[in-house]
Amino acid sequence: MPSLIEKSACDGLLPVSAGGVTLSEPAPERITSVAPFAGKEAAAGKALKALGLGWPGPGTSIGGEGRLCLWTGRGQAFLIGAEPEGLAGIAALTDQSDAWARMRLEGGGAKAVLARLVPLDLGAGAFPVGRAARSGLGHMAMILHRSGAQSFEIMVFRSMAASAVHELHQAMTALAARAAL
Amino acid sequence: MRYSGLRVFTEGLFGNKGWKPAWRDPEPKREYDTIIIGGGGHGLSTAYYLAKNHGLTNIAVLEKGYLGGGNVGRNTTIVRANYFLPGNQEFYSHSLKLWEGLEAELNYNVMHSQRGLINLFHSDGQRDAFARRGNAMINQGDDAELLDREGVRRHLPYLDFEQTRFPIYGGLLHRRGGTARHDAVAWGYARGADQRGVDLIQNCEVTGIDIKDGRVTGVQTTRGAIKAKKVGIIVAGRSGQVAAMAGMRLPIESHILQAFVTEGLKPVIDHVVSFGMGHFYISQSDKGGLVFGGDLDFYASYAARGNLPMVEHVMEAGMTLMPMIGKAKVLRSWGGIMDMTPDGSPIIDKTDVGGLYIDCGWNYGGFKAVPASGWCMAHLMATGESHEVARRYRLDRFATGRLLDEEGTGSQHNLH
Amino acid sequence: MRITCPLCGERDRREFYYYGDAVYADRPAADAAPEAWDDYLHLRDNPAGETRDLWYHEMGCAAWIEVTRNTVTHEILATRLVAGREGKKAAAKGRGKKA
Repeated sequence: MPSLIEKSACDGLLPVSAGGVTLSEPAPERITSVAPFAGKEAAAGKALKALGLGWPGPGTSIGGEGRLCLWTGRGQAFLIGAEPEGLAGIAALTDQSDAWARMRLEGGGAKAVLARLVPLDLGAGAFPVGRAARSGLGHMAMILHRSGAQSFEIMVFRSMAASAVHELHQAMTALAARAAL
Repeated sequence: MRYSGLRVFTEGLFGNKGWKPAWRDPEPKREYDTIIIGGGGHGLSTAYYLAKNHGLTNIAVLEKGYLGGGNVGRNTTIVRANYFLPGNQEFYSHSLKLWEGLEAELNYNVMHSQRGLINLFHSDGQRDAFARRGNAMINQGDDAELLDREGVRRHLPYLDFEQTRFPIYGGLLHRRGGTARHDAVAWGYARGADQRGVDLIQNCEVTGIDIKDGRVTGVQTTRGAIKAKKVGIIVAGRSGQVAAMAGMRLPIESHILQAFVTEGLKPVIDHVVSFGMGHFYISQSDKGGLVFGGDLDFYASYAARGNLPMVEHVMEAGMTLMPMIGKAKVLRSWGGIMDMTPDGSPIIDKTDVGGLYIDCGWNYGGFKAVPASGWCMAHLMATGESHEVARRYRLDRFATGRLLDEEGTGSQHNLH
Repeated sequence: MRITCPLCGERDRREFYYYGDAVYADRPAADAAPEAWDDYLHLRDNPAGETRDLWYHEMGCAAWIEVTRNTVTHEILATRLVAGREGKKAAAKGRGKKA
């Protein structure tokens, strides 16, 4: 039996910093995709309430650091940092813990870094703390969540971790270089 | 007036005062034997071959704008015969042979330049597919050479052979492929048709098609009603609208294809090159501009202009293939409206209405087809029978399942 | 071109994949005549002007969207979820009854 080394998606790639912005990898957590069966939406909402969360509307999240329910598409949310207790039989559940590369972009210039790669208005009015979106990071599909006034959580498919880190780091260093002029 | 080197010389001596208009500007008559709707490349070549090959001259070509103002003036001018499927092979082979004699035939310089076309491949599987295509081309009687990586490097030393995402494994060289001057083709056919008595009527938009007892009897136009025994619809880009005047729905969705041209540069690219993995192809015009394009914008449109994501995609693909063009400045971009059929092949056929014929669905391959399309459409309209090289371009092939799906991508209009 | 996703709001065209005319959402019955299938798969009104077609929010929420837009101006006139269409609901009900 070979002994496999458990690695997070961005192992060896992060953290990186430039111009006061830091890109780091949060500690790995359980990620479960929750997709309520037809007609079971209310029941799924109730079960999530029992976990101290709830069913998030489009583009929103419920919870926060350590325990989060994040809207990720039509009829789908990601439960992050909690076991999907009470949801079996009322929603399709898939463990996606190892499928995603999660990154946290923090600092005064975080929004400006994302502006180079993400075609969304990330101003505090249009995208306040707690908002979630699926969009593109350059050419990659991405889940974006605003976790704080100056911090964003970014998720891309695990196979794209290195590309995402490369793109983000490049944007960070370019902005830092411009600021230093 | 016959054009010649001597003529250019003598006109030059006398202040170029002797040149006459290349064609007449006649008023439409009330009746013709045959009406061609559409004064683009295909319509003009159809009129020319109706007169030349079949001796029919009581013909009007009705054009809503000016001659050659549609897709024949909005393409990337590539001429090739490198098709794989029977049905397409013999047609484009015939077309290339007509191109090779076209300047002498029309007494008009269409600037046909057989500079060679190289389709690059980037994997073992793609090499196999191109080897098969090359064999099919040779079996058809056309030319093809399979180049390995070093062979490509001899022809195109400026490509990026180091990039690892889409490494260049080789290319299929089609030496007789090349380019031509797009407007000149329309003008040459217009002049030839006019000299044989065809009336070319511009600013004359067809607004209705008259049908009586299942037979076409004429058309309504912005310049009055015109009677005719036979009518050909040859209006790629607007086929759906004109066919609807005869109560037809076509297997066509119109899509936008963008193209680009840079400022004039010294000669640097002396082939037509296509990137097998990146939806990119390029050649250099005689004026020096790099002419290039990519894939469809992927949504139905009549806007004759595209959107920025495809512009970005094309530029990225170009830079991936040949980083040397990075400093060239793009002068213009434009979009052509493509008649996209569900199998990517055209239609040259009769319709269910007696005397009404249609030539449409050229996808983005219409320019190189101009001579053979006219040849075959003229044959169909004159004899009532499909020409042998266009027999498979049937209107009913979608209903009957006899598709000509060159790319093997299935029945979706935007995937070809 | 920007398309308003009923769930995500106005988004850049590059987030979407185009499928084709909205008729694709109305599949003929399995035992329909061949002409109905030919019509469904191949024949198009292909208007120069207002049209309805299907887009997939591929880089977004994965919803299928019916977009009403102008093919000449690229103006987006209306969007709605394919999943919420009346016709679809009625068909689903019908299927339920049969079962």
